[in-house]
Amino acid sequence: MTQERDHTEQAGPPAGALNESDEVRGAEGADAAPAKKRRWRLSRRGFLIGLGAAGASLAVGAYFGRPVLHEIMAENLAEAEHAGSSFMQLPADPPLWLEVLEDSRIRLSLTKVEMGQGVHTSIAQIAAEELGINWGDLVVEQADTSSNLVDSFGTGGSFSVASSYGPLRRAAAGMRSLLKREAAAVLEQPEVSLRVEGRGFAVADSPEKRADFHSLAAAITDWGLPEEEQLQLKQADEFAVIGQSVARIDIPDKVTGQAVYGYDMRVPNMLYGAVARPPTLEAKLLSASPGEAAEMEGIVKFVIDVESGFAGVVANSRSAAWSAVKAMETEWDEGHLWQQEEIDALIEPEGEGGITIQSEGNATGVLGKETTITATFRSPFAVQAPLEAPAALADVQEGQVNVWVSTQSHERAKGLIAEALGVDADTVRVVPTYLGGGFGSKLDTGAAIEAARLSSAAGAPVHVGWDRTEAMLHGYLRPPTKSILHGAVDGAGRIIAMEHRQGSSDVAFSFMPDFMELVMGADFGATIGARINYDVPNRTVTAWRKTLPVWTGWWRGLGLFANTFAVESFVDELAVAAGADPLQFRLDHLPDSAAGERMRTVLEAVATLSGWGTAPPAGRARGVACFASNTVVAQVAEVSVDAASGEIRVHDVACAVDCGLVVNPDGAKAQIEGNVMWGVGSTLIEQAYVKDGRLELNNFESYPLLTMREAPDVRSVLVDTGIKTPYGMGEPPIGPVGAAVANAFTAATGRRIRTLPMTPERVLEALAGGET
Amino acid sequence: MELNVNGTSYTLDVPAEERLLWTLRDRLGLTGTKFGCGIGICGACTVHINGAAVRSCLMPLAAVVGAEILTIEGLAETDGSGTITLHPVQQAFIDHQVPQCGWCMSGQIMQAASFLAQNPQPSEEETVRAMSGNYCRCGCYVRIRQAVQEAAGMAGEEEAT
Repeated sequence: MTQERDHTEQAGPPAGALNESDEVRGAEGADAAPAKKRRWRLSRRGFLIGLGAAGASLAVGAYFGRPVLHEIMAENLAEAEHAGSSFMQLPADPPLWLEVLEDSRIRLSLTKVEMGQGVHTSIAQIAAEELGINWGDLVVEQADTSSNLVDSFGTGGSFSVASSYGPLRRAAAGMRSLLKREAAAVLEQPEVSLRVEGRGFAVADSPEKRADFHSLAAAITDWGLPEEEQLQLKQADEFAVIGQSVARIDIPDKVTGQAVYGYDMRVPNMLYGAVARPPTLEAKLLSASPGEAAEMEGIVKFVIDVESGFAGVVANSRSAAWSAVKAMETEWDEGHLWQQEEIDALIEPEGEGGITIQSEGNATGVLGKETTITATFRSPFAVQAPLEAPAALADVQEGQVNVWVSTQSHERAKGLIAEALGVDADTVRVVPTYLGGGFGSKLDTGAAIEAARLSSAAGAPVHVGWDRTEAMLHGYLRPPTKSILHGAVDGAGRIIAMEHRQGSSDVAFSFMPDFMELVMGADFGATIGARINYDVPNRTVTAWRKTLPVWTGWWRGLGLFANTFAVESFVDELAVAAGADPLQFRLDHLPDSAAGERMRTVLEAVATLSGWGTAPPAGRARGVACFASNTVVAQVAEVSVDAASGEIRVHDVACAVDCGLVVNPDGAKAQIEGNVMWGVGSTLIEQAYVKDGRLELNNFESYPLLTMREAPDVRSVLVDTGIKTPYGMGEPPIGPVGAAVANAFTAATGRRIRTLPMTPERVLEALAGGET
Repeated sequence: MELNVNGTSYTLDVPAEERLLWTLRDRLGLTGTKFGCGIGICGACTVHINGAAVRSCLMPLAAVVGAEILTIEGLAETDGSGTITLHPVQQAFIDHQVPQCGWCMSGQIMQAASFLAQNPQPSEEETVRAMSGNYCRCGCYVRIRQAVQEAAGMAGEEEAT
């Protein structure tokens, strides 16, 4: 397996692009290189097949249309039940393809970006499995926007493996089938006698009779792909690559410093840019001029456009650019100077506009009559804080724009860059690099647009890399939430009614057109995890979408962490009221359904893994929590509390997950570990707030991250309940962490903390009997 | 100004107050050393100066003239025939499949290599203390700890999870 690299590359024209009639046209522009001519046909079954004219090259792309994606979205986002056909712009062209190279290796081009979640490896495993070739004969290439592979969805939502699985298997099996049929003709042998030997097909009992993939691809004239139902997809018990902990293909370059990220991109003669930032949340630029920066060394150009709020500088070094932009003279209308208390008041789950996302029985009626338990849970603003700050390199030339960027959606970046420059999107090529972390933040395209504007003005390639403070302050945040829960338990210890009133600002809706609210009602990103998955006869969940003066959006797991914290903390409160063991209480309330059985399996697995029911080590206590979507997760946290300092120590988190078919078990476990660290950081440390009109954030001194010192041990088990397709793994395990820790804190102290993060101050307050 | 980086001598005309990180990345093209915070908190920019792990984002060039500077690109040994032998820490990070996004990993590895050179047989507690100044946002801490322990010839008590 090799990973093709894209370092210090010369900005060049794009390869040919596929238009709607499946005909290839060359790149436009006087200096365009000869375009790769390729003829395409759409097969009966929705595969795109292409034959290169220059040298033989067979390519197969899986048509990845609306029905497939919709199915996956509906499966993976239980909350997206209102998803209509206009849910979001879905890809109409094939976002992955396979191509036979001249050396008979097979290249997999893929649109999904590698940001540490291991998708390049796991998606390659799927292709290698159905091609039946040696792992080392598969070449993985990151596709850019000039590749014809349009992927409007981007990389996120834990969808990459789940959404690629079916189409890629069929495409790979289709390619194998075409090559094998040709080999049978060339070698004059029945297909059944052929098998893959190295980079070609050979006759099983006389391996000297062989034909390599490239010569076969060159000879193919019959384009008829087998019907989908005749594609011989492997059965699960035949899998040799899927299900193996294959070593990640990106790791060797990451331990030697060779992996190239957006912040690392270099081209000859490049310059550095920086842009002035608004001092407050509502600030509008009134005027800007070079000021004292005009006298500074190394300045190439000032770029000022007050109307669009843009004041930037291009310099011959990064430090010169950063110093100059700070010395520029800018005047701002600061707008209203918001305070956190005003924000908190806005997030109340009440008033007009609540959308009921789950309703069974008559929760309100029952709760009006019975003794009701009520609790309110809050979570704060939080920052994604990938360690690589936003960065992009842009080279804007007449008729051709090249941009290299750490992005979770190069298609989105392409459109927005074209719009910002006022050029035809067909002239913009966006190349995604490795990402130094994404976690939802790198759907933002700010650095790429800034680099493009500055490059356009300076007439040279310009790199823009944000500093940490810019990254903290000028992206979007995880929204604050407030959840009010009511519940009642009967004399037999059963929950008879539950109500969840949830308030949040936008997560997904920040990135969607306004009409989405009409189509979907509630923001699925904000409400994921808010539902009540237990068997409760009367249950209602209502979500309020609140508008804040702070930009909020994607964050790892979306609303999952905050919502599961609220719901699963509250379920523990009901268990206490019922006098029940919290884990048994959950088992006793599972729905009588396939989903309920999966939850049972996972809860029982985590009970075994954590030693639930046995005495924890002295001074420690355990708490359990669960989250079920397509992926089902249960965790047990083991904590101790220092009553003097107020510090909570999370010693160990046991985690059981059923994520359906596991493509790469070690990769899945790595995602569990990372999610647990995120969850513990958010539970104990992370918070941001507004003061005097701005976010009270600067650098890591004001927003510290979890370190190894606070990191728990993580033990995990992947549970197989017989699901035949993969589900999401990059985010679901973050769900239960907060509640598991909070429930363990209660088990340890008899007190409960309902506001995150559980800082030493809040712990001491709780231990002193205060309301937290 | 003369700098010795990874055994190679460079003569540069650069302001003496420029921070080593940006000289390495933007002038020498050694982009393996990463920018994370610029104020010495996160550790992504860790390099060796005469064997000691330091934060290159804070280090003015004037302070490292004449010193032996080692970056991630120079950590592995390359023999006369071009064969590359990874440093034990690098190898252990592969064996344990440690990196996720990888942005912090050059700093983690340089920190660990310097620490183990000074303390070849650390306890787990010593490892945790030595590595707690390096952020990993992806949350690879369990594996980093295991890999550093293994690189020290003391395999972690648990199998890689």
